[in-house]
Amino acid sequence: MPLVNTKGELIAETTIPALRVAPDAKPDAVAAQLGAYALVEIEFPKFRDGRGFTLARTLRERYGYAGDLRAVGHFLPDQFRALIGCGFTSFLTPPEHDAAQYAAALRPGRQPGQLLRRSLNRAREAQLEQQAAA
Amino acid sequence: MSLHVITANRLHDGVSVWFAGARGWAEHVDAAATYDDAALETALAAAQPADVAAHVVDVRAVPVTREGAHLVPVAHREQIRARGPSVRADLPAGPWRDGAAPLPPLPSASSTSPHAGIYRYDEYDRDFLRQRAREFGDQVARRRVGALSEDEFKPLRLMNGVYLQLHAYMLRIAIPYGVLSATQLRQFAYVARHFDRGYGHFTTRQNIQFNWLRLEDVPAALAVLAEADLHGIQTSGNCIRNVTTDEYAGAAADEIIDPRLYAEIMRQWSTDHPEFTYLPRKFKIAITGAAHDRAAVRVHDIGIEAHRNAAGEPVFRIFAGGGLGRTPYVAIKLRDEVPVAELLRYNEAILRTYNALGRRDNLFKSRIKILIREMKPEAFIQMVEDEYAALPPDYCVLTPDLVEEVAARFVVPEFPRQDTGALAKALAGDADFAAWVERNTNPHRAPGYISVAISLKPAGGIPGDASADEMDAVADLADQYSLGEIRVSHVQNLVLPHVAKDDLYALYQGLKRAGLATANLGLVSDLISCPGMDYCALASARSIPVGQRLAERFAGREREIGTLHVNISGCINACGHHHVGHIGLLGADKNGEEVYQITLGGAADEKAAIGSIVGPAVSTEKVPDAIEAIVNAYIARREPGERFIDTYRRLGAAPFKEAFNAAR
Repeated sequence: MPLVNTKGELIAETTIPALRVAPDAKPDAVAAQLGAYALVEIEFPKFRDGRGFTLARTLRERYGYAGDLRAVGHFLPDQFRALIGCGFTSFLTPPEHDAAQYAAALRPGRQPGQLLRRSLNRAREAQLEQQAAA
Repeated sequence: MSLHVITANRLHDGVSVWFAGARGWAEHVDAAATYDDAALETALAAAQPADVAAHVVDVRAVPVTREGAHLVPVAHREQIRARGPSVRADLPAGPWRDGAAPLPPLPSASSTSPHAGIYRYDEYDRDFLRQRAREFGDQVARRRVGALSEDEFKPLRLMNGVYLQLHAYMLRIAIPYGVLSATQLRQFAYVARHFDRGYGHFTTRQNIQFNWLRLEDVPAALAVLAEADLHGIQTSGNCIRNVTTDEYAGAAADEIIDPRLYAEIMRQWSTDHPEFTYLPRKFKIAITGAAHDRAAVRVHDIGIEAHRNAAGEPVFRIFAGGGLGRTPYVAIKLRDEVPVAELLRYNEAILRTYNALGRRDNLFKSRIKILIREMKPEAFIQMVEDEYAALPPDYCVLTPDLVEEVAARFVVPEFPRQDTGALAKALAGDADFAAWVERNTNPHRAPGYISVAISLKPAGGIPGDASADEMDAVADLADQYSLGEIRVSHVQNLVLPHVAKDDLYALYQGLKRAGLATANLGLVSDLISCPGMDYCALASARSIPVGQRLAERFAGREREIGTLHVNISGCINACGHHHVGHIGLLGADKNGEEVYQITLGGAADEKAAIGSIVGPAVSTEKVPDAIEAIVNAYIARREPGERFIDTYRRLGAAPFKEAFNAAR
């Protein structure tokens, strides 16, 4: 199945060992194994099951996972920006939607993303500046 | 031997259609081909050719009987689908709109209501809405060519407020925290006139619904609304819904903190949130900032009370796990004093816990209220606290700059007018006016002003419905008397929040001319009602006609009865908030007959309570007698000045049960 990166570009299949994680996996149990893997695959049994979004963010933010985080299973091009926003870095696209649809989803003016993003980013920058000054 | 026809809804306009064999799909049931039991299976297969998914949805057989030249579906619901809403004989089912008619200029092109207290969009905000309207247009196009399956498209259309109902698509538009400008209300009137059949329905969640949309028109309607900074984003689907609040926010005399600012921040935070848009189930947040809770925060997934701590700073009391529906619960309290900077972070911790652990195997157990009870509240709170403690310290902080940035987008109204005594004079000279003022106004924080409720519950009307002409009339009156600002209340009425007392009599006369001066706020006929089976695909029974019967029965004596909240839902999903009505009615279908279960003692305010079932469900005809008996039991026992709910709380259910049982 085609693999794409965060720009929707086709990339070569990898051969490195992957830690496959079910959506109901306990994050602390997953975290204990993270050190041994440079690739974690989170399963989406169907696109409506949004647990993978929280799991991805938890692995990235709470447990500091910095390797490749891959979405596998059934997810829509319409969810592409949200998946990226939660820390996914590669995507095994499902047979229902070819890779080109994912690239198309990122065209300017398509998925605008979280509305408060602009203000939150500004607030975060201001906070970082303040910390640097102190 | 039973007789069947095959029915579906047409994908592009939602119209109910009936399979006519080789002639394809007909728009009227009488033209349908009929099949006996033996022939049905083959016919169903024939009705679903390989590419049918692109043209019709929800293909299924329904039993019918032949009555002369007519075919009549057996099920009540299918009869309504075939004919149109029973409460609008003037609106038969079927295609109705000529899509080619040219459209006049938009109201938003000539007015912006500069004084109204809405959040003022900039180009970034406006672009966001335009992008979303385009994105949805793209999704509709992909659905129509089969690039998205119906199963995939459904959650996407729901997230834009689009439902497929009995007769057409319904479009639900958010009214953020219930605040509208006159221009926005005119834009609604425009959509009602040109994309719908001349009216809209205000809901219990500060939304408006249009009932007769064609799917192919929805992107254009959304684009029109976007020009007035209005949208249907996340008004449905398993995501964070429109954040609701007190309809008197920023005007009420008892307000501690204006909740609109925080509601707006939460709206922006929750809109297209990357993590929380595919939750186990819908998620509703309400916030209030007044001593008296008019936003029903304790029956929301997250309820927030803004108040001040000992140092006088704004802080938030956070509740979670309230809700109505199949399993009604009053929320549990999580924290008393979450500081402003932490508001979104604390919400994130709650939602993250819910998104990870909320049940996805059973639709009826998927709300956060069930998770909390299954985990036990203490364990849930501990989990949220752990999640909260583990958030990166710089993540999603509501900094003073950010709060200020959003606050700066709200116009701060001035209230220079003084009460020069005109109101007192008018009250003395006009008893009808005095009765209307007594029921339909609320104290304002500025002494020269008052807030006015416009009842959308006239005798014989449909609760919450307003015609395009009525919307325009209210918009004009708002421009003239209320800084161009209108509120939508969760009891399905409109509010003009800032009316100078000196102008009140003139406003009243204007409302009277428009037929909008019904003086029934909080009385029996000011009932809450969902659309019920006249429109809704989920309903088990009709809601509107039974409400009309009640209003008619009590017409002569409702002032004597006093404040009494009657809430009606047409199914267990409880959109009519029946659990929290002083008297609640829940419609159900019992062997093809509409019956109503009656509950007593519910309340949605700071004394929130779920009503108790008074006895077996009664038929439509019996409802007025049963309710009248209950009301009479109250009148006979009430102490001076005591409302129905207070008498019920003092005496308990027994005398009311007795009266009900004698009448049913």
